[in-house]
Amino acid sequence: MAENKPRKVVQKRLPREVYSALKNVVGERWIYEQRSVVETYSKLSIEASTFLRKHEKDPHLLPACVVLPNSTEEIQAIVKICNRYRVPFIPFTNGQVFCAPTNAQPTLIIHLSRMNKILRIDTENLSATLQPYVDYGQLQAEAMKRGLWNGGCPLATSLCKLASQYSFAGLWQTDLKYGLLNRNIVSVKMVLPDGEILVTGSRCIPKAGDFWEYGPGPDLLGLQRAAAGTSGIVTEITVKLHTWVGDASFPEIPAGRPSLVDVHEPKYDSPPAPLKNHKLYWIEFKDFQSQIRAMREIAHAGIAIGLNATGVYSAFYCSQTQEMTIQRCRTKFFPDWNCYVILANITSDQQIPYEERVLRQIVEETGGIFLSETHKPEVLDALKPWNYDCIRHTTGFRMNRKMYANAWLPVGPLDSAFETTEQWKKALDLFGECDITDRGGADDTPFVYALQRGHFCFFETDNYPDPVLPEEIKKAQAFGIYGNAVFVTHNLGPMLMAFLNVEPLTTMFPEVGPNAHLLMRKLREVFDPNSVCAPGRQVFTEEEWRQFPEDIKAAVNKMRAMHNLPAVV
Amino acid sequence: MTYYEKKPEKKFFEKELVDYRDMVWGCARCNWCQNQWGWNVKSAEFSEICPAFHEFRIFPYSGMGKMHIARALLEGDFDYDDAPEMLDFIYTCTTCGACEMNCQRLQDKEPLKVNETLRAQFVRDGFGPKPEHKRLITGVQHYDNPWMQPRSQRDRWARTVPIKDLGREPAQTLFFVGCTAAFNNTLWKMAQSTAMILHEAGIDLGMFGKQEICCGSPIARIGDRETFFTIARRNIDLIHTSGVRQIITFCPGCYRSLKYDYPEVPGLPKLKPAVYHAAEYIAQLIDEERITCHNTVPLKVTWHDPCHLGRHCGIYEAPRRILRAIPGIELIEMERIKDQAWCCGGGGGARAAYPDFARATALKRIAEAQKTGAQALVTQCPFCEQNLMDALAQVQNGMQLFDLNELVIRASQKTKK
Repeated sequence: MAENKPRKVVQKRLPREVYSALKNVVGERWIYEQRSVVETYSKLSIEASTFLRKHEKDPHLLPACVVLPNSTEEIQAIVKICNRYRVPFIPFTNGQVFCAPTNAQPTLIIHLSRMNKILRIDTENLSATLQPYVDYGQLQAEAMKRGLWNGGCPLATSLCKLASQYSFAGLWQTDLKYGLLNRNIVSVKMVLPDGEILVTGSRCIPKAGDFWEYGPGPDLLGLQRAAAGTSGIVTEITVKLHTWVGDASFPEIPAGRPSLVDVHEPKYDSPPAPLKNHKLYWIEFKDFQSQIRAMREIAHAGIAIGLNATGVYSAFYCSQTQEMTIQRCRTKFFPDWNCYVILANITSDQQIPYEERVLRQIVEETGGIFLSETHKPEVLDALKPWNYDCIRHTTGFRMNRKMYANAWLPVGPLDSAFETTEQWKKALDLFGECDITDRGGADDTPFVYALQRGHFCFFETDNYPDPVLPEEIKKAQAFGIYGNAVFVTHNLGPMLMAFLNVEPLTTMFPEVGPNAHLLMRKLREVFDPNSVCAPGRQVFTEEEWRQFPEDIKAAVNKMRAMHNLPAVV
Repeated sequence: MTYYEKKPEKKFFEKELVDYRDMVWGCARCNWCQNQWGWNVKSAEFSEICPAFHEFRIFPYSGMGKMHIARALLEGDFDYDDAPEMLDFIYTCTTCGACEMNCQRLQDKEPLKVNETLRAQFVRDGFGPKPEHKRLITGVQHYDNPWMQPRSQRDRWARTVPIKDLGREPAQTLFFVGCTAAFNNTLWKMAQSTAMILHEAGIDLGMFGKQEICCGSPIARIGDRETFFTIARRNIDLIHTSGVRQIITFCPGCYRSLKYDYPEVPGLPKLKPAVYHAAEYIAQLIDEERITCHNTVPLKVTWHDPCHLGRHCGIYEAPRRILRAIPGIELIEMERIKDQAWCCGGGGGARAAYPDFARATALKRIAEAQKTGAQALVTQCPFCEQNLMDALAQVQNGMQLFDLNELVIRASQKTKK
């Protein structure tokens, strides 16, 4: 009788001549095709569909080979080989979000982990040039020593590589003042999908210097920005720096340090008071309307460097264990309606006192109450991790104790917060909850970022199914797709759709034009004539679209049909 | 095993890979297992924390990568024949615990325990360990020490030291020396200085001498649970028979084993005597003025936290208190300290099987120490000292290496008139 063994998942192999050519570029030490190596590069992170594909033992998730180049020239040579042999490749840093699923062809992973140097910090012209594996924490640590910083840190933590975030948008907690990362890029040097080198901005003019994002001719930086890694591989990125008024490094945490035997002791979660020349205020509101009104007033007043609302998410960020998190969600330990404001003495020592007066007036007018030693001091104390995290975010993925399967991530004017929250609640009623965290993240508050002086906002509500239960993951996935449909139907703002392997805005939003996706396809054909760069992500060729799962295709076309758009074929 | 399913109460050494199923599926690829806790990053150069990932740059060497390998093995996506290379990924780990430290703070996951459970499964299935590790196991099985040294040599370090042999006379306190310092004569000074300090402080100190047996730490870390269980049981019996009231050891491996690993072995009686690390015990003696550091030791030093002492067991402050108590000593901290300390590279069997990697890791620590401007690196772990000593011999940059108790002896010895 045959033994009932689980089915193995077998990787594809690159043709030997391709492997040899790649080995000649990076050397034997930096090329891998062993089974256990490629497993660790087969996308399995925070997105529902690849979890399901893992459960289904889909072999197409496994790349064929991993190479680790060490220079722009090596990347260029690798990409040219990929074009010559029509081998798809995927640029890879942390591998959390932007690592497209591999496809039926043997696929190459280009892991950039060896390119982790800060190439220069220009203290005169306020910029830093980085290799693609440099993260926010590294840059900030070096810049702070020079009285500078890069202006922000993503809530997805300071481990994000700036070159990867360039492929997204780069959402910061301090972008009230400094704007998104995409407003802070001076230039990129990248290897295009066909192996050519592109240098953007003033840097491309010999001897002009690296000071301005716009170069001669069309805005090529803009064209490449937020392309989710489909437009090539960034090998150098120059970002703007700003004045830093805190200390040269973060102070040691006085409460001591945990160890493996007492890591969950609450005593270890209290960092010190806010950093030098910075002050963090927490404000509670009686309802969502008051919160949003206050956020608008604060943003428009021109004060503060950061303004965001965490809602129930503080229970995730500031609790030592999952049990504590759930308990705090249930008991509504943290205020449902809140926001935090970061003030800084950038222009003078009097800046914080002045801005605090303005802030207090706005809070009074909107019926808010500051958390303080007399109002919920225990809550204020529990929120102390934010004293550091608002500047260099570390604890963010506490929210992600199970898996982070899907999110509704609309962007829009502040007023749209009400509509998006209503829709989320309806979705929960329709689908049923996966977990308490769904309900907590929606009914009580979505995360709200006031971006760029409150010109628009970013909202987030998330979904956390159990990673070992495919049925829960499917429900989470359906949630996400339903969310897209809802936003399209209600004409809510465009959203970031990193967590769905479906064609983005260009297919869905009628305002862009019925055939915008065809224009994007043409652009892709220009930059990527052989369709080798991260295929299966963002903009699809006809061939890739044909390979798409039928149910996803049907979902996309159903959404288009709602708006009387022709089906994508 | 699902995420919220009530898990059966199991001791660590009872657990199988399947007990971690929800954890290995749930890894979020956040990458904190490879990096300094964000609040601690002080420079780009020293921003990473996993020695193996830092050296090899590919994910299977990281905590995250091992979670993914464990998941695939557990689900039968591949097996040993398909991936013989994974033996190296799993055994290059120094078991420094940095990955688990950060992951637990963020996500309640335990990549080090997953890795150690993988090792145990490898050994059970005959896939592991590495040949170099098999020699250590054989040594413990046949000689009661991993270094295959004759038992008769075990107490040679003590010839010049006033200490009782518990085989001949009773004592209140057992000095558990450990195999590495007992057999490596370049490390005898660790054992000798510790014994001298405790003797001077009036501690009624005894040792097992030739009868001492390995604590089992290297065997536990390698994953041979069966041999470890036997060793643990023999040690507990020996200790209980001796009638000692407390145990002092300066070896963080022995300390962790006696204090935290033995209780995780199923079916073992509880070890009755209290277990202390020499640093915490001597710091207390200094506080009580039973040891007085009256001599000036003019030296700029930096303290290297041994992983199994600091991150594993939480002893960070005691050695620093001792250093601050010595007149003339100026303690300058490195960037990566305490729970975020960089490993020396010598633990978890890495030095035995991957000496080049172990040395490269030690060299990185020495470079970090040198940046502080310190003249000397001070630590208290035979594995760290051995590994750092080798690397210092290679780099020859003038940096000195001291065991903590060598400095205490210098500071507390009465000057001969």
